[in-house]
Amino acid sequence: MSMFSYLKSLSLLELLKGLRVTGEHLFKPKFTVQYPDEKTPLSSRFRGHHALRRYSNGEERCIACKLCEAVCPALAITIEAEPREDGSRRTILYDIDMYKCIFCGFCEEACPVDAIVETRRFEYHGENRGDLIMSKEKLLAIGDELESQIAVDRAKEAQYR
Amino acid sequence: MTEIRNCTMNFGPQHPAAHGVLRLVLELDGEVIERADPHVGLLHRGTEKLAESKPFTQSVPYMDRLDYVSMMCNEHAYVMAIEKMLNVAPPIRAQYIRVMFDEITRILNHLMWLGAHALDVGAMSMFLYAFREREDLMDCYEAVSGARMHAAYYRPGGVYRDLPDFMPRYEVSKWHNEKDIKRLNENRQGSLLDFIEDFTRRFPACVDDYETLLTDNRIWKQRTVGIGVVSPERALQLGFSGPMLRGSGIEWDLRKKQPYEVYSEMKFSIPVGTEGDCYDRYLVRMEELRQSNEIIKQCVDWLRQNPGLVMLDDHKITAPKRNEMKEDMESLIHHFKLFTEGYCVPEGEVYSAIEHPKGEFGIYLVSDGANKPYRLKIRAPGFAHLASIEEMVKGHMLADVVAVIGTQDIVFGEIDR
Amino acid sequence: MVKITINGNTYEAQAGQMLIDVADAAGIEIPRFCYHKKLSVSANCRMCLVDVEKAPKPLPACATPVMDGMVVQTRSEKAQQAQKAVMEFLLINHPLDCPICDQGGECELQDVAMGYGQDSSRFKELKRIVPDKNLGPLISTEMTRCIHCTRCVRFGTEVAGIREMGATGRGENTRIGTYIERAVESELSGNMIDVCPVGALTSKAFRFHGRAWEMQQYPSIAPHDGLGSNIYMHVRRNKVLRVVPRENEAINEVWLSDRDRFSYEALESSERLLHPMIKRNGKWQETNWETALNYAIEGLKNIIATYNADAMGALASPAATLEELYLLQKLVRGLDCSNIDHRLHQIDFSDQNDAPLYPYLGQRIEELEKSDAVLLIGTNLRKEQPLLNHRLRKAALKNTGMINEEISANIMLINPVDYEFNLPIAEKIIAAPSKIVSELASVAKALISLTGKNISDEITDLLADVSTNSIHEAMAKLLNEGEYKTILVGRLASTHPEFSKIRALAAWIGKITEAKLGYLAEAGNSVGASLTGVLPHQGIAGHKVENEGKNAFEMLTKEHALKAYLLLGIEAEIDSYAGSNALSVLEEAKFVVCLNSYKTKQMQQYANVILPISLYPETSGTYVNCEGVWQTSHGVIPPPENVRPAWKVLRILGNLFDLDEFNYDSSQEIQDDIHKKTVNVSLPNNLQDWKMPESINIAISNEGSRELEKIIEMPMYAIDSMVRRATSLQNTQDITQAASLYVSSRQLKDINITSSDGTSLDTQMPIMGDERVPDGCILYYAAQKDGFFSIWNESFKFCSSSYHVE
Repeated sequence: MSMFSYLKSLSLLELLKGLRVTGEHLFKPKFTVQYPDEKTPLSSRFRGHHALRRYSNGEERCIACKLCEAVCPALAITIEAEPREDGSRRTILYDIDMYKCIFCGFCEEACPVDAIVETRRFEYHGENRGDLIMSKEKLLAIGDELESQIAVDRAKEAQYR
Repeated sequence: MTEIRNCTMNFGPQHPAAHGVLRLVLELDGEVIERADPHVGLLHRGTEKLAESKPFTQSVPYMDRLDYVSMMCNEHAYVMAIEKMLNVAPPIRAQYIRVMFDEITRILNHLMWLGAHALDVGAMSMFLYAFREREDLMDCYEAVSGARMHAAYYRPGGVYRDLPDFMPRYEVSKWHNEKDIKRLNENRQGSLLDFIEDFTRRFPACVDDYETLLTDNRIWKQRTVGIGVVSPERALQLGFSGPMLRGSGIEWDLRKKQPYEVYSEMKFSIPVGTEGDCYDRYLVRMEELRQSNEIIKQCVDWLRQNPGLVMLDDHKITAPKRNEMKEDMESLIHHFKLFTEGYCVPEGEVYSAIEHPKGEFGIYLVSDGANKPYRLKIRAPGFAHLASIEEMVKGHMLADVVAVIGTQDIVFGEIDR
Repeated sequence: MVKITINGNTYEAQAGQMLIDVADAAGIEIPRFCYHKKLSVSANCRMCLVDVEKAPKPLPACATPVMDGMVVQTRSEKAQQAQKAVMEFLLINHPLDCPICDQGGECELQDVAMGYGQDSSRFKELKRIVPDKNLGPLISTEMTRCIHCTRCVRFGTEVAGIREMGATGRGENTRIGTYIERAVESELSGNMIDVCPVGALTSKAFRFHGRAWEMQQYPSIAPHDGLGSNIYMHVRRNKVLRVVPRENEAINEVWLSDRDRFSYEALESSERLLHPMIKRNGKWQETNWETALNYAIEGLKNIIATYNADAMGALASPAATLEELYLLQKLVRGLDCSNIDHRLHQIDFSDQNDAPLYPYLGQRIEELEKSDAVLLIGTNLRKEQPLLNHRLRKAALKNTGMINEEISANIMLINPVDYEFNLPIAEKIIAAPSKIVSELASVAKALISLTGKNISDEITDLLADVSTNSIHEAMAKLLNEGEYKTILVGRLASTHPEFSKIRALAAWIGKITEAKLGYLAEAGNSVGASLTGVLPHQGIAGHKVENEGKNAFEMLTKEHALKAYLLLGIEAEIDSYAGSNALSVLEEAKFVVCLNSYKTKQMQQYANVILPISLYPETSGTYVNCEGVWQTSHGVIPPPENVRPAWKVLRILGNLFDLDEFNYDSSQEIQDDIHKKTVNVSLPNNLQDWKMPESINIAISNEGSRELEKIIEMPMYAIDSMVRRATSLQNTQDITQAASLYVSSRQLKDINITSSDGTSLDTQMPIMGDERVPDGCILYYAAQKDGFFSIWNESFKFCSSSYHVE
């Protein structure tokens, strides 16, 4: 080791430089987001919890075509269908097993009537075994609750899809 | 005379410094490593076999979950393999988008590596800085695909959607007033490309900061210089690739040597090390951060000027646009068939490899002409690297194992598959 | 032989073969919609256009005969252009229904559009809409989806023999449908679902229930007629969602009768018995197997101890599997009892020791097509054995399919009712049941005088008083002239009170004309049941038994009533001709064990134990069809809840009785055992096996008599427990019409139906006039669930003719 580098190392120069970097950050504005009071922005493409949508007249959109069930790589969707009283094709069972779902969004891509969608909701939990197997009723309820946001997002994304 | 015996101990699989579920069985003579035996398989999910039972496109989301810190790169190798078999090429814009996101992914991966590696070795603040920058890149991921990690964005024939013209913004809360929000949203006023460009402008300074913290730092150097030295010959023999190989001084980069997509159009250089120790590999990766940043810049420029298709306009392979699907019969049939049966890929076999942040990530695909792969083999770079761990740590102290694991940039998702 | 080149490879072909057949045989794909290998060529969809060298335009492969040296390209630019263009036209008027269409995923239109069409549409105008047709309770229609391939129309005229369907209008206004709005009633109508390449005709029972990709396909055998049609069961999550035919040229070709196709609905019937049940102190309770089995054993042992083993009897359904039937007879015979039978509809057992070992068809099913003279005795063949009828129809029309074409085979029949046939009938005799024997005798006599052959003097003597008329002589002539002749004896003959005489006469006619004599096995395992010895007079493989037991009819009549009964898979009161007698006999019995898949009110009146057993999709087993072919099927779904396969139940019963050699672990072991014991059995010789009748009655005119002769028919969709519970089938005309009584329309107003004691009769059933019923007869349908019992009781009062069943 040369004399110069010996002295340099004695001066702790590189450590002081590092300290300057960290010290500067003391005075920079914080970028911390105070979750859950505030949240980071979510893209309109966000793939969160599923929902089933309705038409504006209250009729459920899903026509039991089962494309989502077929395309689901995780086999998380289970559908049973039969003719409804008016003869239309409807599901009698539409379950998404959130324990299995991998949130790939393929179900939404496959849906020919925009019935199954992935919403911006990403915080959900279950307290009992089986709580996260979402039934048709639960999914429709989420759809009803979030419809305004869902509709805005789909409209925004329509040009890209 | 008392008998002296070597001590055998488990390192992991729940050790905080053992990345993921690595389990190392170490034989120690005092604190010196005599033998290191890595155990794999704790994170085995049968991805290769799973893929055999699904139409080709449906396995894309599973590729994200291999190396879960460089998601889109895994997808890239897979969709490229399918495209090769189908003998199609994605539109040029899609290729630029893929290159841009490959490099974003590389930065994501290297930041993750840097943070974790430094943390393991003892530099706490590195981790925080690295994750701060990752956050912006994750937002890019989310903006295009809707998911911050498991994007499922690359598809055979292109990418799923074009880059958005808007970025989501922060909203006023009780913690942040309008002024704060204005500052936070400053780089979110324009399109995704504006956001990325802003990032590329800021990022070199960030890398400078990282280097200030580590490169000359005596502790960092004491922990990495001369540790885990691999000679160029051995590196080749051990099947190293990526920064592990370049760290040993071999100039090998698939982006240059076998350019795929539009890498041949890109201006960038390959950093190489001289000594083949942990410090060299660190330097190589730091330089790669800067080079990736340059590539992203070039892509942003091109993408701004050249709008166009991002998905192949051949609905025998790619799903039709949604409004077409709702209006015309042919499109509906193709939509229906693609989402149920998928497409059939001609008989044959193909190997497609990309320069993954960790090395050469390859997909070997055999098709028997059906709509599912006959066989899918994933060549994960980390597997070859992990295999060399004994050679790299032999004779070092126990604490150096942590540095070597760090330098190997091990992610068990890809190793165990 | 000619040589042609397709896509550069050379193939040999028969001159005159159609190009598409050659390509299919060589495994070269040519898209098609209207072409179907079992139907005539219509070449109207134009999808199979291929490029033939030297032809100016692409030619349809389905209508282009091969010629020597022909050079064909199926994927050349020209061919592809043509295919694309055709596909575009086809899709112009096709509705955007894929997501709600049941055909989606298995639709030929989708597949061909993917493979040969373009990937987006240029058509922006409005599409047409076509009103739906009513094609009955089995087929649902969405005629807007129709692409006018006319497969269904051709199937209707060429196979099912219904001429109502056709195409009307031209171009965009083309409509497929019935000319006059009416339901299509055919015993083969379900096949239209299969031939339809799109979702225009789909199954009503299956409607919206599943997608092609989510079902597993398992092979099985349908047990509802003597044919043993090969089927595939489509199963999802342990539920049979539908049944489709499995191709077997030798048996069912590519077709399937509606009965076999829709009977699966009964698996989910609400009457399904899911747990063993026992009656304790007059109350029914569900219990576990151990209790129920012990209860059953105890009850039977009590009876045997108090009386003897002969106080017990067993009756089995001929639709049970070979293994079940074998174990049942092994169990019963192991207890030193011979009262066992499966011939629930037979009345005349007098020649059982001289009869053939089993009701053999006398030939291979395929061979029926070769026939050029056929005599049908007492059968509504269309309803009894729909696909055998189709074979005869092919013979009669020699594959031309067209009713007006020259007739090839002469089909003759002697029937008590003038049933509708979908094939040309050369000669027919419709006679009251009491006259069938004498009519048959007249034919025999006409034959003897025509050929001068004398089988034996005894026969000549018996026929001495028989007179003949021109129809008998014409029949004799046709039968004598034919090259390949067949006589088929059907259900109305085998349930005839003088069946033995019919058997003898049929055999004589067969001998004189050197015809094949065949019996139409009623159920999937009628042959198997006889073979394994579910008979009072014979053990397995025709092995004679020392003391002959009581036959089915005896067991269920008051004089011969037994103390205990073991019933396998039957509802005795419906499934036997003893009818309401059976009900009272069983009610009086001390102990009745039912092995059944369903529970009924009646069963709960008479049974003491009901053990739930599997239906055919839930158990492995073998069926022997009417030509003696063994076909084994495996269970495709597990039995529900506490239901167990009958062979396992019988095995345990055997164990509990401490019988030897009852330790079977699989149905295969049982089958091996049966096989070992029957390996030396040769095909029965129907022409040899009959009994010389004591006399042949000459028909006496009963003109003016006020008594009505009964003609009992089994409705096609009520022949066994399972079919009776298939909801779709129960909505068909065949079942609705069974709710009436029929007399000759000429006599309808003259007849004042009273019971034999002179009181007027309240049948709660309408009495209708029917041209098909001969004078002096009344036709009614047995085996009905509702309103059946009152009818059955009253029926004994209708007549005091020779057809007294008591």
